[in-house]
Amino acid sequence: MQRLREIRVQEPPFDAGIEQAALLAGRSDIGAVVSFTGLVRDFNEQPDVTALTLEHYPGMTEAALDDIVTQAEARWPLQGARVIHRVGRMTPGDPIVLVVVASAHRRAAFEACDFIMDYLKTRAPFWKKEHSANGDYWVAERESDHKDASRWESDDDDSP
Amino acid sequence: MSLTHLNQRGEAHMVDVADKPESRREASASGYIQMKPETLALLREGGLPKGDVLATARIAAIQAAKRTHELIPLCHALALSKVSVDFRLDEAASRVEVTASCRLNGRTGVEMEALTAVSVACLTLYDMCKAVDKDMEIGGVHLDTKRGGKSGDYSRGSIPAPSPIVTGEGVAGQVSIGTRCDIASPCVRVKCLAELRERLGVSELVVPLDSLASTDVGGLKAALVERDERFAGLSEGRVLCAVNQVMAVDATPITHDDEIAFFPPVTGG
Repeated sequence: MQRLREIRVQEPPFDAGIEQAALLAGRSDIGAVVSFTGLVRDFNEQPDVTALTLEHYPGMTEAALDDIVTQAEARWPLQGARVIHRVGRMTPGDPIVLVVVASAHRRAAFEACDFIMDYLKTRAPFWKKEHSANGDYWVAERESDHKDASRWESDDDDSP
Repeated sequence: MSLTHLNQRGEAHMVDVADKPESRREASASGYIQMKPETLALLREGGLPKGDVLATARIAAIQAAKRTHELIPLCHALALSKVSVDFRLDEAASRVEVTASCRLNGRTGVEMEALTAVSVACLTLYDMCKAVDKDMEIGGVHLDTKRGGKSGDYSRGSIPAPSPIVTGEGVAGQVSIGTRCDIASPCVRVKCLAELRERLGVSELVVPLDSLASTDVGGLKAALVERDERFAGLSEGRVLCAVNQVMAVDATPITHDDEIAFFPPVTGG
C-alpha cells in the first residue's frame, strides 16, 4: 500500500482544497478522505479577540507531529495523512491547522483525523497568545482537551 | 491543594474543627455598588425616600455576617467578636465602596462572614435607592485580607491573580539555535518558551555542568534557583520540560551540550 505523509509548520495560510487534492493526486486506492480545518475565533478566554500569535518549538514540533501521525497509522489502516500547522500572527477567520487523512474506508479516516487533532492539541509544542481589547495574554490549557485525548488511551473493548 | 468541603467520595461535608486550636481570626472584604451621579448625590444629602441609607446598610451587613451559617450550607455558626462595616462614597467613579471586617478567636476563618456582610450591604443599598435608580450594579466583591489559621495569612494582590497573564505583544515566538557549549567547559543550554519566557524574563542561558549538584533535570532546576529565585517558578504549577526535544522529568539525566527546554502546557490546534 502506498503511503504518503506530509507535515509542515509554516507562517503563510494554506488552502485546504489544494492540500487535499495534492494528497489524492494519482490515487485510486483511497476510498475516504476526511479533512479538518481549525480557524481563529473572535472570542475565546476574552471576548473581542483581535488577533492571535502562535509560538512553537522548532524541531520538537515537527517531531511531535510526525510521532502523532505514526501512532495514528499504527491504529488505523491509513493511506495518506497531511498535517499543516501555522505559526506567527493570525486574525479571526484565518485557518490555523489542517489535518487531512485518507483511508480505504470512512470510519478509519474519521477516527484517525479526530485522534490526530486530539493528540496535537495536548502533545505538540504550540502556544497561543491572544490579543484582545483588554490586553494580550497566553491561552491556558483546557481540561476538556485532555479529556478528549484520554478517550484514545483506555484499551477498552470499544476502542480500536 | 484540595477542596476541604468535599470528602473522599466528593460529597459535601462540614469540616470537623473540634480539634483545631483556637486562634485570632480576621478577614476583610470589599465590593462596590455603581450608581448614577444623581443617586450618589441624593445618598450623600440624605434625600432618598427610605431615609438613612448607609446606617441601614451597615446594620444589615452586621446582621448578615452573624447569620452567614444560615445562608452558606457548610459554614459553621460563629460567635463573632467584631464586625465593622465602612462605606466610602467615590464621586469620581460614581459608586459606593463597601468594606467589612470580621474577627473572632476561634477555629474557623471568617472570610465568608466578611464577604456576606459586603454582599448584603450592597443589596441593602440597592433596595434603599432603587426608587430613584434601577440601573445600579453591584460588583467587585472580593476578599482583601485574611489572618490566622492553618492556611496562613492572605493579602489580595500579593499573589498572582488567577486571570490570564497579560503581557506586551512581544515578538512572534522564535527560538534561536543558541550558542554551542565550549568542549573545554562542559555545559547545558537552557531555553524558556512562551509564557514562561515572559514570566521569567529570560529566553536562553548556558549553565556549566559542574554547577549542578546532580546531573539531571532536578539538579538543573536547583542550580537555576540558586542563580535567581525567580526560577522557583519552574517547580510551580504545570511546567513541562524536554531534554534534546524529548519530554523529560526531574530524574531525566542530562549531559554536556544538551538542550533543555522549559515550557507551559501546550495550547495549539
